[in-house]
Amino acid sequence: MPDVTIRIPMPLRTFANDLDEVVVEGATVGEALKALGAVHSGITERVMTPEGQLRSFVNVYLGTDDVNSVDGLDTAVSDGDVLSIVPAVAGGTGVRAKDRKLMELRATIPQVMPREALKLKQNGAVLIDVRERDEIAEGRPAGAHSLGRSYLELKIEEVAPDLGQTVVVMCNGGARSLFAAEDLKRLGYTDVRSITGGFNRWKNDGLPFEVPQILDSDARERYSRHLLMPEVGEAGQLRLLNSKVLLVGVGGLGSPAAFYLAAAGVGTLGIIDHDLVELSNLQRQILHTDDRVGTPKVTSARATLQALNPHVKINEHDVRLDSTNVEAVFRSYDVVVDGSDNFATRYLVNDASVRLGIPNVHGAVFRFEGQVSVFWPAYPKHRGPCYRCVYPEPPPPELGPSCAEAGVLGVLPGVIGVLQAVETIKLLLEVGEPLIGKLLYYDALQARFSELKLIRNPSCAYCGDHAEFPGYVDYEAFCTASTA
Amino acid sequence: MASLRISKDLLERLESMVMAGYPNETCGVIAGKARDSAVDVCNVMAARNLNTERAHDRYELAPDDMLGADREAARLGLDIVGIWHSHPDHPVQPSETDRMAAWEGWSYVILSVTREKVVDMRSWRLNGARQFVEEKIEICQT
Repeated sequence: MPDVTIRIPMPLRTFANDLDEVVVEGATVGEALKALGAVHSGITERVMTPEGQLRSFVNVYLGTDDVNSVDGLDTAVSDGDVLSIVPAVAGGTGVRAKDRKLMELRATIPQVMPREALKLKQNGAVLIDVRERDEIAEGRPAGAHSLGRSYLELKIEEVAPDLGQTVVVMCNGGARSLFAAEDLKRLGYTDVRSITGGFNRWKNDGLPFEVPQILDSDARERYSRHLLMPEVGEAGQLRLLNSKVLLVGVGGLGSPAAFYLAAAGVGTLGIIDHDLVELSNLQRQILHTDDRVGTPKVTSARATLQALNPHVKINEHDVRLDSTNVEAVFRSYDVVVDGSDNFATRYLVNDASVRLGIPNVHGAVFRFEGQVSVFWPAYPKHRGPCYRCVYPEPPPPELGPSCAEAGVLGVLPGVIGVLQAVETIKLLLEVGEPLIGKLLYYDALQARFSELKLIRNPSCAYCGDHAEFPGYVDYEAFCTASTA
Repeated sequence: MASLRISKDLLERLESMVMAGYPNETCGVIAGKARDSAVDVCNVMAARNLNTERAHDRYELAPDDMLGADREAARLGLDIVGIWHSHPDHPVQPSETDRMAAWEGWSYVILSVTREKVVDMRSWRLNGARQFVEEKIEICQT
């Protein structure tokens, strides 16, 4: 083993019996320093961290080379080498106010290492993240509440109602969390702690974190009018972006509904329609255009919706809906908007959505009148009827003619389709009172809205109290049979 | 009371180094002999300030200059006994920045300097509670 001379600077000599040099054995710088520590124990902790790294406020030179520029503590030494411990020397005229305040806070706010913070959280402490949006986008500990710094005092009681509970505050580096912790103490919280080193250290210590979904700046601007409303906000907008809505038909009702749902940022819109655009559609079906006459409605709808909001995912279902494919199509959606123009489809949509527990936002129009309701027997708050409770069987064709037969004021489905979009968004956001068990009736000539109460039928074969799904029927036959 | 003895010549050299560096902070190393709490200054050397960004109010003494000074001092049978630095247009009292970065066992000589002259010079040492305690400066003729 080579003999190495270690030069001890005056500030460390009290730990080395006042010696200015000590000769030790060691093959590397690290070994030599360890050997020094074995003889003069106080020196080691001043030169090295508990993890065995050189402290930032000392430099170690081998001859005239800073060992950090060679191999650090692994730098090899040879017999007769001289190692010098050189204290870092710094200072300056003043200390900035923030530094002075931080020193004061470090002395008064209890600080915990990330690992301890995780344990506290597992034992019921509330973890508050006061970082900015772009920092949170990099990741955050699961279950951390990202309240931000500016609304901290206003929002804290929503997540920590008890002033006596342990609150752990985190930022990115450990400074802002001290300021935030002070604010919380001033607010009355008695056990507030700050995470040393913040999220950077949390990550470096290998503790678990998730990368949260947040709105990018483009989305924040696009949906800014939603974000301003507490009933929507970022959480609600994210909810819309993660939602999937199926539009059964993109005709008179489906067009305005889909248009507004796409604008509102509903992330996935499914469109099922097997028709082609016809010139007579353009009087009311506002998704389609003159130059697309003769093209499939699903393709035309996609073009218009994506021109409005290219971030919306459009699923085209260019099929005729029937009992063999209805569940496969419906299954992946959160809400079905029924904009169909015939009874066979309405019953099929009803039966499938009852079976799958999906809300069915219903709309229908006739000349100057329209109606909207939400059929969702599985609604958790109160059970409502299904379409069959209200209309056990279809009316005879002369009482239930289609638009093609009876005509419709072009703007009327606009009113009703937009109301369907409103109900859909309320359901997705879980705000307000959905039109469950109620039918909103609109009379354009009287300029009057009226609300009818819809009663569920406890012995309904599809949604009744003890109903077992009776199976799909032949809907064409079912709707034709009633004419008899 | 601890004391620091410095000759008039060395004091003048120190003052001229501080003036030459104005308006930046200048710093350097003091070599000498320390017996108990009495320090005899035998040499003062300038060192480079690595903090170029805030050279007007911060210093960070180049460690290889410190190493060179230590080698030179050892050759002459001396020790590095302290650090000197200037406070341009600022009182001579050590700042919190100074205190936080200071080492026990060294003298910290501070010179308050303006464009015209060195206004004041004092020396401090850290006590066991990491607080600066002023030490007396004795100026001798030789």
